[in-house]
Amino acid sequence: MAAPRARVEPPSAEQAAFLERAIQQYGKATYNFAYRLAGNEADARDLAQEAFIRVYRAWRSFQPGTSFLSWVYRIVTNLYRDELRRRKGRFQEEIPEDNVPQQFGGERPLAVTPIDDYVERQLGEPLSKALAQLSAEQRQVVVLADIEEYSYQEIAEVMGCSIGTVRSRLHRARALLRRLVERARQQQR
Amino acid sequence: MSNHITTDLLVDYVHHELAPEEDALVHAHLGECAGCRREVENESALTDALRSAAAAEETDMPSLVAARVWETIRSARPSPLGRLAVLLRPAVAVPLAAALVIGAYVAVPLSHGGPAPTIDAGYYFEQHAAAQVQYPLAERGATLQPADRAALEDDSPPAQLAEQSNVGVATVDFISAVR
Repeated sequence: MAAPRARVEPPSAEQAAFLERAIQQYGKATYNFAYRLAGNEADARDLAQEAFIRVYRAWRSFQPGTSFLSWVYRIVTNLYRDELRRRKGRFQEEIPEDNVPQQFGGERPLAVTPIDDYVERQLGEPLSKALAQLSAEQRQVVVLADIEEYSYQEIAEVMGCSIGTVRSRLHRARALLRRLVERARQQQR
Repeated sequence: MSNHITTDLLVDYVHHELAPEEDALVHAHLGECAGCRREVENESALTDALRSAAAAEETDMPSLVAARVWETIRSARPSPLGRLAVLLRPAVAVPLAAALVIGAYVAVPLSHGGPAPTIDAGYYFEQHAAAQVQYPLAERGATLQPADRAALEDDSPPAQLAEQSNVGVATVDFISAVR
């Protein structure tokens, strides 16, 4: 994932200290969040790297007293969305809608494939792999609501959408996950 | 709430996203309905499974990421706007402004040609002595008599005034000696 690089200025001492502390305290959470969105290490590394460069660049806009993690998650979410759009332009393919699962990772095109194909390939895979079969928006909302334990309001702020949208995306995402898990159980019997 | 609760509502219940009244109604219903209770347990289990899977996969951020971030930042060269922005920082701007003000203070008089004219204090003493010669009584607050006024207006000083004027000359000599 080669996200477009932002213009960077050399660091001041204060700015460098801010970035160092941000990486030290939130590097792990940021990277794991990026990994859950992207589904592979290479993209997660690029996302985390670019996110911290954005953090460095925009450090003055961070308001003390607010959640740093929410801020950096929003940056990662936006970067990931931009990357999906960029890939869409490159491969001239559509980004899947909310109800359509997608395959992602590396530099592969974001192909739209029937759910059954994914289910067949995902049998016996851990739940995290089933999560990877959701659309980008669905995966984001599940990661934030169920793994990061964010409220709907916080998720809406991170994703830049309404609470109603968060609610409906989460409902549909979990319905799809339940179907995937149920299908996997039936196959195991 | 006699019928079963919808799955969507149960999802919101599991995530503690219902309004207090709604939450209380669902909670009360779950105490009576085994089917909905089982549904809630399934939803909670899904959430638990997601968290467990995420926790199992959680890793530290590769050190390469931080190294690349620092490399990108440290290899950056300031843009023209960035260089200008440096001049606006207080640590730079305040001394710079002070230097400009001092420079302007020094440079403006020089720009009018040479040093500013100065008046020697002795000039005033000389002027004072000359005035004393011309109007010996003026400083003492004495009122001129008509005869004196006529004498002063006359070009040729009378003998009396001429005598007093010697005091003034002596004063000028004294000041010259002091200087």
